[in-house]
Amino acid sequence: MKYIKALRDLTINPKRTLLVIFALFIGVWGIGTVGVSYYILTNDLNTNFQKTNPAHLVLYSKDFEKLPLSEFNNIPAVENAELRDFVVERIEVLPDIWIPLHLYGVEDFDNTKVAKVLAEKGNLKPKLGTISIERDGLKISNIEIGSNPRLRIGNKVINVPVSSISFDPAQAPATQDHLIYAYTDKKTFSNLTGKKINQRLIIRLNNVNSHDDVKKISQQLISRLDKKDINVTNVDIPLFNEHPHQWQLNTILFIVGVIGLLAFILGSVLVAQLMRAILAKQVRQIGIMKATGSSRFQVFQIYIIMLLILGFISGAFAVPLSVLAGSAYAKFVAGILNFDILSSIPFYIYAILFTSSLLLPLLLSLSALLKGTNISVKDALNDYGINNNIKIKPLAILKKFNLSNISLLSIRNTLRNSNRLTVTIITMALGVAIFSTGFNVRQSLWELLNNLENELQYDVQVVLNNQISKTDAIKPFQLLRNVESIHLWNSGNSHSKELSTKKGASIISLPYNTQLIKPKFIKGDWLSQTKEIDVVLNQQAWALYGYHEIGTSFDIYIKDSLIKVKLVGIIEQLAKASLYIDEKKYNSLYNKNNLVNTITFVAKKNDYNSVIALKKSIEENILPSKLSVAYVMSDAEKVKVIFDHLNIILSVIIFLSFLVLSVSAIGMATATGINISERTREIGVMRSIGATPKKIYTLFIYEGMIISITSILIGLILSYPLSQLASIFFGNLMLGEKAVLAYAFSPLGFAITIVTTISFGWLASRIPALNAVKLSTRDALSYE
Amino acid sequence: MDNKILELKNISKKYQTKERTFTALNNINLSINKGEYLAIVGKSGSGKSTLLNMVTGIDHPTKGKVIVNNTEVGEMNESDLAQWRGKNIGIVFQFFQLIPTLSISENILLAMEFVNKIPKNERENKIKELLKQVGIYTHKDKMPSALSGGEQQRAAISRALANNPDIIIADEPTGNLDSKTAEAIHLLFKSLTKMGKTVIVITHETNTELKYDRIITLSDGKII
Repeated sequence: MKYIKALRDLTINPKRTLLVIFALFIGVWGIGTVGVSYYILTNDLNTNFQKTNPAHLVLYSKDFEKLPLSEFNNIPAVENAELRDFVVERIEVLPDIWIPLHLYGVEDFDNTKVAKVLAEKGNLKPKLGTISIERDGLKISNIEIGSNPRLRIGNKVINVPVSSISFDPAQAPATQDHLIYAYTDKKTFSNLTGKKINQRLIIRLNNVNSHDDVKKISQQLISRLDKKDINVTNVDIPLFNEHPHQWQLNTILFIVGVIGLLAFILGSVLVAQLMRAILAKQVRQIGIMKATGSSRFQVFQIYIIMLLILGFISGAFAVPLSVLAGSAYAKFVAGILNFDILSSIPFYIYAILFTSSLLLPLLLSLSALLKGTNISVKDALNDYGINNNIKIKPLAILKKFNLSNISLLSIRNTLRNSNRLTVTIITMALGVAIFSTGFNVRQSLWELLNNLENELQYDVQVVLNNQISKTDAIKPFQLLRNVESIHLWNSGNSHSKELSTKKGASIISLPYNTQLIKPKFIKGDWLSQTKEIDVVLNQQAWALYGYHEIGTSFDIYIKDSLIKVKLVGIIEQLAKASLYIDEKKYNSLYNKNNLVNTITFVAKKNDYNSVIALKKSIEENILPSKLSVAYVMSDAEKVKVIFDHLNIILSVIIFLSFLVLSVSAIGMATATGINISERTREIGVMRSIGATPKKIYTLFIYEGMIISITSILIGLILSYPLSQLASIFFGNLMLGEKAVLAYAFSPLGFAITIVTTISFGWLASRIPALNAVKLSTRDALSYE
Repeated sequence: MDNKILELKNISKKYQTKERTFTALNNINLSINKGEYLAIVGKSGSGKSTLLNMVTGIDHPTKGKVIVNNTEVGEMNESDLAQWRGKNIGIVFQFFQLIPTLSISENILLAMEFVNKIPKNERENKIKELLKQVGIYTHKDKMPSALSGGEQQRAAISRALANNPDIIIADEPTGNLDSKTAEAIHLLFKSLTKMGKTVIVITHETNTELKYDRIITLSDGKII
């Protein structure tokens, strides 16, 4: 009989039952989707990455051939070592569109043990004289198997056939870095590039657990090789056991996690509210059951059965759909970060989700159940009609505003269930705060991009592979149209005294009074004419060199000689570690012939189309020249590359913030629905004393608007500290430790937040309000 | 001179359920005069509440006409009906049904605002007058929960009188009150009839002879 009672109670008000199922569905689906995508993504990027057996260390030397490869492999600390050459050239991906080509020369495709490349389409090993293109590059080019793209190798242009497509999940996605990865055999590599092979050794080490371990062993290795007459010229230690774009995934997972948790909390609040309302409605029935001999436990059992039925139905829909949605989201992220989904969802995940859907309503309703079933028979049977026991203060202050009685009634009604109101406002305000924070963070990132765009006052930059004279550098471009001025800079590498490896910051030597860079300063100032060797660092270089204070001097290595430099400024940039130095000082020490390797163009007309046209003309002039070009990039494209890195995060923030706001609105609609259903008799009474349906409708819309506006105000206030925290978090994640992404207020976001929240609030009140006025006066008065 | 204020002509009301058709009122004919204090009595299920709903326009008859103050109730839409009801009929409920979030005077003011019959500048005085009339003026700023059952019912009567209706319909107005308070409420109703109001009380009380001008007894949807 208990089952029949539970079932009948559910079917007697199908709309309300559906609402509870929907609320439970939202909670389970939200947490399930997040959980499933979290499960897949945390496992799979790393699994894809580790599957390639990534190198811990890369050594450069011209002397590796002095020893057989087995000698390197026999070093106890070395798990595996391979000679894999690498060069950056250029490839034409679309007509007259050239981007960097990262070309690797692989010794033996069939037996790679370090930094393995996988076959995607065709044979992994490209035919002699051909190359294999990494699959992510296909998304930004018209290259396919059988294509014969043009490669710019040094100062020659040659066509090289593509014979296969490979997959290298350890690389940063080509789409985001705007470059192409390609692989070929050593012979073809040598023929194509004209470079000596076997000058780059990739090593996977035994028993290393951290970047520091690798650093320590690299020092031992270098001195060991030095004794064998192998002079290591450069060392590169990649991120330890971490995909280059793991930071993006971490950010996405963090956002998904936080927002998923919020969606879960909001869904839970929704369910708890509904269950409280249902139990409140059943008070008289509880009294009747108790009066006819039922124990509290027996009454309790009926509601447990009811909750289990609700949990079962919502779980039956939510669990498979959350697995589908979570998998689809993981697939979307995997597509962007260029890795394969390998995980299948284990049975225990389904079991956890389904158990949650059964237990969730029980846990959330427990306090209401205990309270509801504890009511005395007398109190239960006396529960009838309008709840006159509401203790509400008249709020004398409201009188001063000369409000109409309907407005006064709306305000008082809003306050009549303070617990529910608090929960509704908190959930809605949280939704508003997160939504608004999403826009503010997006604005911060946009402003960062704008700063970058404004920072660079030039339009196109050509970076050469080698240093040449100023006359040779400028010669191919003398007849170019739309060029205001051409500036020639030099660049090189520096590294810290403390670093065991030689990886450091790029040096950019340029006139101290250049007008082409107008950076945003974190601290200090730009270069000036002084006697000391002043440097300006971007925050990545600042972190690399140990966060020196402005005005302090420190030692760095440039071209293997130690030099003391003075830090005068730290600038905000979204770029690799860079150090700026006055060209006269740099040239007097390291570049006595005044050679250059960077040609910077300022356009006369610098709208996007004119700059792209100028870039094309530059490319056309490079083709017949003898210049060996590393890359040609316009300022606009540079910003686009950075934007592409951030875009996925921006999209996730906005999408998920919208989701939270939507769930909050559903919560509000539910709370309003409960409020209205609890006051159905009151509606009937108002109708019977002359209130038209329109007036009743207006009353509920007022109530909804009061809640919405209060939530907006609280949410917007809350969004200020939240946005600042988010700026610090994203700043640290994207720009490096101690870097703060400046807080920015988004006027567009503010407007969208207000319009969206008020619209949601209006809808959340309108739907239940319309239902309320649909009810006839007779039905409303006889409602129990 | 025609003194009729309310007329029910051949009223029948049938409710259709899945299993059967239930006749709540069966061909009722009834005329009520101005200033009459009338009781409609009957057992539970006799059709009293249905009759109340017909008179107030809360529900519509399946057959027949309800004419109140020369207006045919069945011809109005929900909005017009609500306004008409507010202006012409004051309803008093068994459980008082005051709006719990408004004070006593605000409850009366709300009824005035809904209907807009009493000019704004006269409303305060009218509320004062009504509350004094029912003897609870000192409680005007209290919330309903602060009042006793009898006081709440007096407040509900004041609200029913807010728009100066010609007819007061009370559904079991003393059903939830002690006998002394119930007696006081009857006296109050009686006093209203002396002011020209028509008061119709729906009740299942049997000892009604001495209180009312006329008693209509309903049984199985028919006047007996």
